[in-house]
Amino acid sequence: MTGWNAHAASIHPLYNMVVGPAEVVLTVDLPYVNQKEVKVRCPTEDSVEVYAETNRKITFKDLGAKHRHGEFTCYRALIQIPYKVDEKKIISKFKGGVLKLHIPRLR
Amino acid sequence: METEPIPKSAALVNGLPDVGLVGLLAASHIIRELKLKEVGGIESDLLPPMIVLHGGLPKSPIRFFANNSLVVLISETTVPVPLIRPLASTVVDLAKSKAARLVLSLGGMAVSNRQDIDAPKVFAALSSKDVEENLRGTAEVLEEGYIIGAYALILRMCAQASIPAITLLTQSYYNHPDPVAAAATLTAVNKILDLNVSVSELLKNGEEIRLRSKDLMHRTHEEMQKMNKSHEDDLPALYG
Repeated sequence: MTGWNAHAASIHPLYNMVVGPAEVVLTVDLPYVNQKEVKVRCPTEDSVEVYAETNRKITFKDLGAKHRHGEFTCYRALIQIPYKVDEKKIISKFKGGVLKLHIPRLR
Repeated sequence: METEPIPKSAALVNGLPDVGLVGLLAASHIIRELKLKEVGGIESDLLPPMIVLHGGLPKSPIRFFANNSLVVLISETTVPVPLIRPLASTVVDLAKSKAARLVLSLGGMAVSNRQDIDAPKVFAALSSKDVEENLRGTAEVLEEGYIIGAYALILRMCAQASIPAITLLTQSYYNHPDPVAAAATLTAVNKILDLNVSVSELLKNGEEIRLRSKDLMHRTHEEMQKMNKSHEDDLPALYG
């Protein structure tokens, strides 16, 4: 299965990136996450890291894959952005388990 | 490939992997809630050599389910771009041979402000104007725009064959599975087809559904990119 790191107990979430002239808009799908667990940072000027602990342990068995072994307790994604961005001005909104980030591009 | 008789004069509902997996989630829910029986599947050399296991038994990933008045097509794998036209032809040929009373395709319409929408709206594209009454006010008719993918071809082929067809497109996330949009779609389908499918389980299990569908959504996204799905965001340059 793509995006399931059993070794690190982390799931790579689905995300969508739209690049505009002034900002990059990123939506990240984070089921089973509470807002206060979401952490966002830019390790480099052209990347965003999203990390969030889940509010329950998730196993392949829970998802119907009894033949797979894996328990997951967080989401982690390091997303490359085609332009440099300003971490300090990120605006984020979390609703319905979806994180939406407005990330201004650096001029 | 019919394994059980597919009923005549039924409504044919299509739930293929597409934007937000809306159609597939809605169609799968119909099958589960109404306990439809598996009646056939589609085989093709254009599909990867694969089966899907359910209850320990091998199944074609693209299958039909039915009762006396309803036939539902789902696909548990992405439909590769080269298979789209043959699949659309097969669906329309089936509708023709079984004198389907309506072909109803279910899908999503990607909107950038989906996070701010609590009640996704349903839109409809029609094979002809006289099909509009079938909507019963559940959806706003799309007058102008683009539709890309299997549903585009199914709708056009139905129009050419004078088979009544509707494509429902519900506001949704582009590449996140969207059970809330699927539930909104089902509310419309219930009215159009006089069904009574409850959406409560679909909404209650939304998080699990999103996670279970993650891999299929990822692969569907890759296939949507190959067919330039983003063209649906464009405005048609000319008047009809």
